[in-house]
Parts: sequence; C-alpha cells; structure tokens
Amino acid sequence: MRSLPENPEELIRKIVFLREEILLENGAAPLVPAARAAAAAVVVNPWAGLGPDSDLTEAAQWLAPAIAGALIERLLSGLGGPDAVEAFGKGAIVGTAGEIEHGGALIHTPYFGNLLRESLEGTSIICFADSRGDAGEALVVPMWHKTAAATRSHYQTVDIRIPDAPLADEIVVVAAASTGPRPHARIGDRKTDTPVSWSTLVGASR
Amino acid sequence: MNVRKIVTLIDETAREGGRPVNPAARVAVVAAVIENPWGNQPFVEDLSEGIQDNASDLGALLAPRVIEALGAPVEAYGKAAIVGLDGEIEHGSALIHTLQFGDHFRKAAEATTLLPAVEKRGRAGVTFDIPLKHKTDATIRSHHQSIEVRIPDAPHPGEIVVALAAAAQGRPQQRLAPLSSEK
Repeated sequence: MRSLPENPEELIRKIVFLREEILLENGAAPLVPAARAAAAAVVVNPWAGLGPDSDLTEAAQWLAPAIAGALIERLLSGLGGPDAVEAFGKGAIVGTAGEIEHGGALIHTPYFGNLLRESLEGTSIICFADSRGDAGEALVVPMWHKTAAATRSHYQTVDIRIPDAPLADEIVVVAAASTGPRPHARIGDRKTDTPVSWSTLVGASR
Repeated sequence: MNVRKIVTLIDETAREGGRPVNPAARVAVVAAVIENPWGNQPFVEDLSEGIQDNASDLGALLAPRVIEALGAPVEAYGKAAIVGLDGEIEHGSALIHTLQFGDHFRKAAEATTLLPAVEKRGRAGVTFDIPLKHKTDATIRSHHQSIEVRIPDAPHPGEIVVALAAAAQGRPQQRLAPLSSEK
C-alpha cells in the first residue's frame, strides 16, 4: 500500500456541497416544499495500483469515518439538521486507476453507512449508486426515506458532478439527503396499490 | 418573477498541487432558474420593462444567499446569465448587466469593481464557467479565477439561469508576480 499520512483528512483534496430548492415544478409550487443536497469528498484512493487480492479492511476503517464526518457536517448545516432530513442516499465515483470495489470499501461498510445513518437519525438501509470514470463524470445519487424505505413519495435523486475529479487515483464519495418528497408526488403507495400481476392485466386495455 | 429552483454550490479546496491549502479555499455559487421574461413572444425591441420587473428582485434574491453560502468575507466575485435555447443572449444580459441587479451584491460585499460575467446560451445541463475577480481591484492577479457550474435540468428553452459567485480568497497556491511588477 502507498504510504498514508497520519491524519486521514489529508487524503481529502476537496469537498463540494450542492443544494437545490424547488420552488416551482410544472408551473406550480409543491405542496410540500423540499430541498435536496449532496456533499461530495474528493479523496485519494489508498488502494490505487494494488492487486485484486489486496486487503481493503484496515484503510477503509481508518479513512471512511473521516469522510463520513466531513460530509455529514456539510449536509446537516446545509439542510437544517437531522430533524429536517427525510431521505438519504450515498454514492461513489472511482477514478480509472481503481476498482469499483474500492468505492464500495468506503461507502458500504459500517464505518461510513452506520455513521451517516446515525447522524441523519435514520433506520433504513441507505440506497446507493456507484460508477467509475474520468474527471467530470456525473453520478445520479438515489435517495429514499430514512426510516421507511418503501415510501414511494420519497424516491428521488440528486445529480453530482465535479469537473476536475476524480483523478485516476481518486474516489469521489457522496452523501445525499432531502428534506421531503418529490414535488407533486402523486403515484400512490404500497398501501394504496391494487394487486397487479400479469394475470390481473389479462384483457386490460388502455 | 417565476423562480423554478435555486441551486447552491459550495466548493472547498483543501489540497492543491499536492500541498495543503489552509484554510481550505472557498468559492460559492447561487443560481436561480427563472422563466425568461421575454419568452414566448416575437422580438422585443425595448427590454426595459422586463428589466424593471426582474433585475433588482433577482439581485436581492441571490446576493444574500451567496454571501451566506460562502460563510466568509467576500474577496472576489462574478456573475452569470445562461439563456435557454428559445431566448436571446441579450435577454440574459438584460437581467445581469444593470446596476439594479449588481448593486445588491456590490453593496453587501462592500465591493466597487464591475462584476465579471459569463453570458451564454445552451441546452439544459450546459456547463458554464463563472469568472471571478477581486471585488475592489480587478487587476489583482491572485484573485483571477473561475468556477464551473452545471444544473442538469436547466435552463429549459424558455428559461434563464442567473447566478452569482463569491470567493473568500484568491486561487489556492496562487504565486504569480503582481501586475505592477511587469510595468
């Protein structure tokens, strides 16, 4: 493994925070206004150049909490604290000298996910997206409800893109949150759905 | 003024050229996606009514937000107008190239210089770079910088994205000789 600094925060090159507040959608103000945000850290990939049998555990446990802390701080200050947050998600964009698995090591273990869930006061599994690409690769990060993942109104995404990241030996790690549902959410829910299968659709016409 | 959404971007650079930047260099952008006041109509000769109706309100909306997002005293600043494909670049320029727009930011930031600007027309998701220069002396070379912005679903053909940008410092690791040294 490459030589690592004593302080994991020294591997963070930059942090980008993005917030979008929707005032009008299709010409009308949403009944339930919401803001969506993503915080992204550009981090040196500690495993870039290592073989596929290398152990990811130690560096992940050392680095992921530092990233989580930096992202959580910006999400909470940008959205108004854990009480305001209703949905969450996460993601990673791995530079081309790394494996998707390296991104997974930073976002899919308790050293990131549990801390994000705890700080945002959620209970759900956190949904995610990952990808590998050059600097400027965009990632659409999914979110769902932080305590009731199947709440359909809260299925939504936020789009993050950093023009100069990830470099080949970097990973962009993203934490995302929303303060409410989609604007004009109106596609029902599991509780209101009628049973649908191929057989119930026999003879149905538009 | 019909504002569809407001986007805030905060960019913090903690390392550049392999060296730490301490404190991290901060640049903030706040953009409003608005309906083009001159959309859906034939060529409008006199833009003054739409300017009167929108420019000052836009400045008042964006200036305090970008200063709050920056969270530090403003040292450099800039602005942008990105027009959707059904509009004229002149429509965007009309909104941002007036004192009634810029003075909100200039006064709140205790600035004196012209706000450097980008005007552009493009599809939703177009990228644009907002130039920033020092707020009281546009020749201060350390503060020449820009920040790239992209809003995935804006501007629609009938919309305009209007944005302000603020930086709390010059470029990270800036080390060019001042202009005066070349005179």
